[in-house]
Amino acid sequence: MKNKLNVLLLIAIFALLHASGYAQNKVVKGTIKDATGLPIPGVNVLIKGSQNGVSTDLDGSYSINAATGNTLVYSFIGFKKQEITVGAATVYNVVLKEEDNSLEEVVVVGYGTKKKKDLTGSIVSVNADEIASRPVVNAVQAMQGKAAGVDVASSERPGTVGAITIRGARSISASNAPLYVVDGIPLNTRLVTDASTGKISVDPNSGGIDFLNPTDIETIDVLKDASATAIYGSRGANGVVIVTTKKGKNGKFTLNYDTSLMTETIHENAPMMTAGEYIEFRRWGRYYSNPSAFPKGDQPNIENDKLIFLASADPSAWANIEKGWRDANGNLTTTWDGSKVATTDWTKFVSRTGITQQHTIGVSGGTEKMKGYGSFGYLDNTGTLFGQSYVRYSGTANVDITPTKWFSMGVSLNTSYGVNEYGQSNVGRTAVTSSTGIYATARTNLPYAVPYDSNGNRIDNPGGDSTIRTPVDEYKLSQDQRVTLRAFGSLYAQFDLGAISHKLDGLKYRINFGPDLTSYRDGVYLDGKSAIRSGTSFASLTNEKTISYTLDNLLLYNKTFGNHTFGGTLLMSQTEYHNENSSMSANDIKNPENKWNALTPANVTLAGYSSGLVDTGLLSYMGRVSYSYADKYLLTASGRYDGASQLAAENRWAFFPSASAAWVINKEKFLENVTWINQLKMRVGYGETGNAAVPAYATQPPLVGIVYPNGSGVVNNTSLGNVDLGWEKTAQFNYGIDFAMFSNRVSGALDYFTSRTTDLLLKSSVPTVIGVKDTYQNVGETEGHGVELTLNTVNVTSKDFEWTTNISASYQKSKIVSLQNGKFDDINNNLFIGYSQNVIYGFASNGIWKPEDAAEMAKFNAAAGSNIFSFGNARPVDQNGDYKIDANNDRVIIGSKDPKYIFGMTNTFNYKNFELSFFVYGKMGYYYDTGGENEGAKGSQRSINYYNDNNINSEYQKPIYSAGTGDAYYPILGYRNGSFLKMRNISLGYHFDKDLVQKLGLSKLRIYCQANNPGMIFTKVKWTDLDTQTTASNRGITLGLNVGF
Amino acid sequence: MKNYKKLYINLMLVAALTVSSSCNKDFLDEELTTAYSQDYYNTEAGIQALAVGTYYQVFAAEFQGEVPLSSTESGTDEFHAGGDPSNWIWNSYSTGFNAFVTVSNANTVAANTHWDNLYIGIGNANTLIDSATKIASTNDAIKKTALGEGYFMRAFCYLQLVSQYGAVPLKLKPSSKVELEFTRAAPQDVLKQIIDDFTQAYNLLGNAGAPAKITKDAAAHYLAKAYLTRASEINDSWNATTKTADLQQVVTLSDEVISHHPLAANYDNLWTYTTADGANEKLPELILSAQFNASTLTTGGNQQHLYFLSTYDQLPQMKRNLAGGRPFSRLAPTYFVYDVFDHVNDSRFWKSFQTKSIVNNKSGNYYVNGDLGIMYIINSPSDTRFAKTKNTDAIIYPKTGKTIPSAYVAYAADKVGLMADVRFPSLSKYMDGNRIDLSNIKGSRDITLARSAETYLMAAEAKIRLAKAGGATFADALPYINAVRTRAAYKSGENRAAYADGSAAYTTTGQAGIPISYIPENSYYESNNIAVATTATNLTISSVNALPAEDMAVIAKLGYSTDYDRMLCLVLNERTRELCGEFHRWEDLSRTKTLVARAKAYNIEANPNIQEYHNLRPIPQTFLDGVYANGKPLTAAEKDAMQNPGY
Repeated sequence: MKNKLNVLLLIAIFALLHASGYAQNKVVKGTIKDATGLPIPGVNVLIKGSQNGVSTDLDGSYSINAATGNTLVYSFIGFKKQEITVGAATVYNVVLKEEDNSLEEVVVVGYGTKKKKDLTGSIVSVNADEIASRPVVNAVQAMQGKAAGVDVASSERPGTVGAITIRGARSISASNAPLYVVDGIPLNTRLVTDASTGKISVDPNSGGIDFLNPTDIETIDVLKDASATAIYGSRGANGVVIVTTKKGKNGKFTLNYDTSLMTETIHENAPMMTAGEYIEFRRWGRYYSNPSAFPKGDQPNIENDKLIFLASADPSAWANIEKGWRDANGNLTTTWDGSKVATTDWTKFVSRTGITQQHTIGVSGGTEKMKGYGSFGYLDNTGTLFGQSYVRYSGTANVDITPTKWFSMGVSLNTSYGVNEYGQSNVGRTAVTSSTGIYATARTNLPYAVPYDSNGNRIDNPGGDSTIRTPVDEYKLSQDQRVTLRAFGSLYAQFDLGAISHKLDGLKYRINFGPDLTSYRDGVYLDGKSAIRSGTSFASLTNEKTISYTLDNLLLYNKTFGNHTFGGTLLMSQTEYHNENSSMSANDIKNPENKWNALTPANVTLAGYSSGLVDTGLLSYMGRVSYSYADKYLLTASGRYDGASQLAAENRWAFFPSASAAWVINKEKFLENVTWINQLKMRVGYGETGNAAVPAYATQPPLVGIVYPNGSGVVNNTSLGNVDLGWEKTAQFNYGIDFAMFSNRVSGALDYFTSRTTDLLLKSSVPTVIGVKDTYQNVGETEGHGVELTLNTVNVTSKDFEWTTNISASYQKSKIVSLQNGKFDDINNNLFIGYSQNVIYGFASNGIWKPEDAAEMAKFNAAAGSNIFSFGNARPVDQNGDYKIDANNDRVIIGSKDPKYIFGMTNTFNYKNFELSFFVYGKMGYYYDTGGENEGAKGSQRSINYYNDNNINSEYQKPIYSAGTGDAYYPILGYRNGSFLKMRNISLGYHFDKDLVQKLGLSKLRIYCQANNPGMIFTKVKWTDLDTQTTASNRGITLGLNVGF
Repeated sequence: MKNYKKLYINLMLVAALTVSSSCNKDFLDEELTTAYSQDYYNTEAGIQALAVGTYYQVFAAEFQGEVPLSSTESGTDEFHAGGDPSNWIWNSYSTGFNAFVTVSNANTVAANTHWDNLYIGIGNANTLIDSATKIASTNDAIKKTALGEGYFMRAFCYLQLVSQYGAVPLKLKPSSKVELEFTRAAPQDVLKQIIDDFTQAYNLLGNAGAPAKITKDAAAHYLAKAYLTRASEINDSWNATTKTADLQQVVTLSDEVISHHPLAANYDNLWTYTTADGANEKLPELILSAQFNASTLTTGGNQQHLYFLSTYDQLPQMKRNLAGGRPFSRLAPTYFVYDVFDHVNDSRFWKSFQTKSIVNNKSGNYYVNGDLGIMYIINSPSDTRFAKTKNTDAIIYPKTGKTIPSAYVAYAADKVGLMADVRFPSLSKYMDGNRIDLSNIKGSRDITLARSAETYLMAAEAKIRLAKAGGATFADALPYINAVRTRAAYKSGENRAAYADGSAAYTTTGQAGIPISYIPENSYYESNNIAVATTATNLTISSVNALPAEDMAVIAKLGYSTDYDRMLCLVLNERTRELCGEFHRWEDLSRTKTLVARAKAYNIEANPNIQEYHNLRPIPQTFLDGVYANGKPLTAAEKDAMQNPGY
């Protein structure tokens, strides 16, 4: 320590001596402001060619001794350097312009950062401004349409995050979710397997990115190509999303308040039939199911109606239908008028205007030695459905301290507490309803039925059909409350060894530690009166605790010798994941107030209970070298060696190499004088990544416990253990061009990639003759290729007006090359050589059987020996022309469900203080399976153009009354082109003038107003929102306010 | 500078330590501590646990759904389509009943469901046999029992497979890796394996623990069944050499089983269920049953209480309730069932079907809860009392003097009949009031898989078949049939209007304040229109030439003339009277090749579609799509060849 003090003292003395040499010069003063008129503290003011300099104070003022003819250099991170020659004056006020060259931006590349211009891989970034431009409730939503090649699905349920895929889905069974890295720490998640499909996905309760307050995010960097993601080895196959939270900035102390208020309502694209339409529809359905017993749909009589509409089971609904048979005086007649029957809109009993408000207060500031950022956020999202809401409190504290030259340390802590009211519960229901939620339940209710009987009591099965349950008041009788507490930390300590010894110049040692704690609780209470129960109440309590950490040891090296710059990184990383869970449930909770909180022997007998434990570990070693020559030729190579506990011991370890290079062409002599090119860079990269995304214990599936009245036993797991299970590997080539032209008015990146995935991890179904249903296997190969374009243009720019366009567009296609036993299709697992992983396979549609097809239809009926088809039935294609529709010969591939084109475009218009932007998003070139229309005519029906004797040129087949399927081949009429282009967002913002703002004692004031999901520009399926893949989506208006103090 | 060096060295040490400490092997070793692994099967405890698990898989698992009814009751002469069409296609054999079964809704039983379940059962049985063979156990009882149970359960599954599908792949060893190449073994080979396995079980097992445990008698019963199957018409193309010996085995084995399992005194004893694991589930008549109990924690559950109920709750004055049951209304009885009983002298119809319910949702001022709300009058074709099939607020119930809101008549002048609507008397054998509440589907009643009444009828059938072959007389069958009929007759002093079913097991909590619709009374007197009688009745058949009128009617309708056909018809009719709805019918009819004629005659939905090839089920498409031959998936032509003809 003594040594160091001496050094400091020496430096101080030298500085003083140095300064005194110019003591005869005059004092130059001034204030430095940014373009908006705000003073900038901490700006370096240096006399050119000397060590003499000062910094501006908090008011942006400086004062320096300088001689006439000296050149003052003003510099500050993020702003263009400016120089002024000292003349006669003594006051020099300077307005610094922000650095408009985005190439200087720093991008996080995984275990380090790089300047954007030095990148060799394919990376897109979304910064804080872009996130702020569209208020979102979670970080994933912020990326929607902002990054080429990143597909983010919409999730409408409060508190949930939409699925995200980067460069398409490559894996079949393995998870396609990207890796999230927050402040350098990869998030660890628990994988769960869908019992029916075998698809592996991330357990949403085990830790995701939804806990982050988007306002706290500084940048999101998405690593797309394998040469960039290989640095994360076994976890990089699906891309890496690196989130960096806000840090304090040197010299700038700010207090910000951001708030927004959003109102939303459900917009329904697929209206239901009115009561009158539906009544006729069901009559037709009855007629076609039994023409001898029922009259045609347009020839009704009241006696048949009583039968058809279960008159005795629900007299209230019948009373409504009877209105159609009454004349003006209320007397029953024989004339039917369907318009007299009142239509019940059941969705209005479950939906409301959703209101979301968010408030974030953030403070930040810093000096050279210490920087800090802190925020507190509150989000209150009231869902558009009764009973659904999400409240999140989030707090962030980031501190970085550099007490000495050779040591720095930082802590960033993100915490959140979220309460998600899930609405009507999916567990504990005893009624048969396959409904996915209360809104869907409402839509299954019949338009002619009524919610309350004549005494005002709720009717549990409106219309008298026991499979149709009322949604009315359910939110009062059913609760599913999910509480998540998350604490995520990222701590580092860094030793700059070069500051200790000259010999070690450029060498740094860093240790990262990232603990991640999640506590999740799900409490469910269903009242005995709930329509999905029947007399007795139900409660369940699930607790899940997750503790994981990542510990990294890093050696970093960076040194420049003349034109040669060398970089090196060495990593040892260790990750452990520990998840424990328990749950219990009981029927007949005597005291409703207990809910799930008093499941004690005195109150209830448990109806079910369980506890579980999952432990996984990952050990990694990584090395990376980079070299650049004169910023012109850039090379990066890395290798990572990963071992994962969930794989069999022999196949546990794998090596993932990568190499990439870039050539900055515009720095070459021959382009030196081409002024319209600001940047032209070619990139080429290769990388291998892995996907060990199988759940723990997949190589040794446990025996399944059975409780039989004779005692407890075990049976074989119906999934066969596979001790040979190894890594799924993806090798990817990426070729890219980064460009900026015409004074940066046109800039962007164009990437082409090819990828090949081998040892594809697949949960494949196997012939059950061997006594199991399926097994995880490394089978086959897929290959894909794609093009991605990011294009930013400044179309018009003038003093008061600017129009910019940002486009992100991608094309991708993948196909299966081979499967486990070679180039054979695997029909049971729906995998076909030469096609994408998600195809529709089945009978193709030849439309509907019409009277003019009588001769042809007769041949089918003759071949079958019975009347399998009649007019109005869906007509499958008989591929082999044998007049028999059979699975062996007539099924074909209908098409791929993976979109080929994904397109996002934002147009922004700035006029004076106004900013107007439109965000358009679309997907094209794929099939969407609408499922067809069942037309059983027993349940409710959306308004469709259906076949009947009076309407033979219809879109859909004839209705056939049934609780199940009316027409055996109805799904074939449901395959549609899924292309759409949607206006997702229109935003209008206004910056208040500086003068006004300052008068209010503020530094920044912006208000904005946005329309969310205002409508479709173009869609192939009018009655569904192809973006959310539901018929209904939320539509609303947001008002927001950003205040800086 | 020295200090820096020291610091630097220390830092490197720390880093190195961290690296080396986490490098040890343990860190990545995966330890499964929360469940047993395959190694458990190397222990005695593991083998016993696997036996218990396999019991569940083989006997009980399928009763948690609609496989039993779709595979054994739908599309027969006993039952036709009820109100809900989830599995109608299994009844109608119509379009979409194929290697894929057209999915009607989430409850539809797929073509491969039963197939997959049986092979998974076989997989467990194979593991059990394999482990019990390998284990060096000093406890012979454990080893022998486990082996005996293993062989029994494997054969139990294969007997169902061969009965449903004919030729099927034979898999007799557990697999540790995926295998894809399978061919179908001929029924001859499959039945030989079944008989070998049941014989092994018969030799290995003792006779304790029935009906919960597999006993020697259970093995004998099913061995007899396997022999009878081999000697049945469906195998006539190849069974000539084994037939007589097989039939003699059936008689010998049946006699042995019957001697240990006397019939319960009253048919009613079998179905009077008041609490889980009550007396009716422990009767000596029972040979083997799938076990269920009232615990919410047991795996699976018996859901058969749902399927045979008609939708009483849609009728006026009625409301769904726990005791009334949750009516899934899958299957309704046919007129064959209504007419095959001697309604006056045979107590079994009245003890198998629910014909009355009481008002529990009164509206208006006339009815009160507890009044008779629904009545089914199961009369004879000669009854001329009724003009209409459906009588709303018309027929008077003498006990109260009030009308009945809904009364349905089997034979009325309007000839509408009980098959035109979805109202029918519900089969009451599985009704279960011992559930949590009215919507809860988890039932607690055991399912009888084998009882000695069936053994009697198997012996009778064997005698009839032997008589055809010249090894016995047709009259030799009568003592076996009469034993069952004698028990079915009314006892002296018996209240013929008394009725009981599992609804009686309801609890007040589960009823949740809803009035009950269950009444322990049947429509015997209203249907038969006779004066109250308490004398004993007699159902004995004295001669093969004097068959009961009900049977003569069936014989006439089906056009039988030979003694053999008439007697086989009698025994099949008797099986309905005794075993209606007990999950044997489809296999009995297909085995005797009487399915097509009987379904055409009595099942209105099957009538237009059923053809000879329906005697076997379609081989599931998932199997055809999944198997390989010579290292390649099957071509469309090869799949066609592997499929049962007609599909």
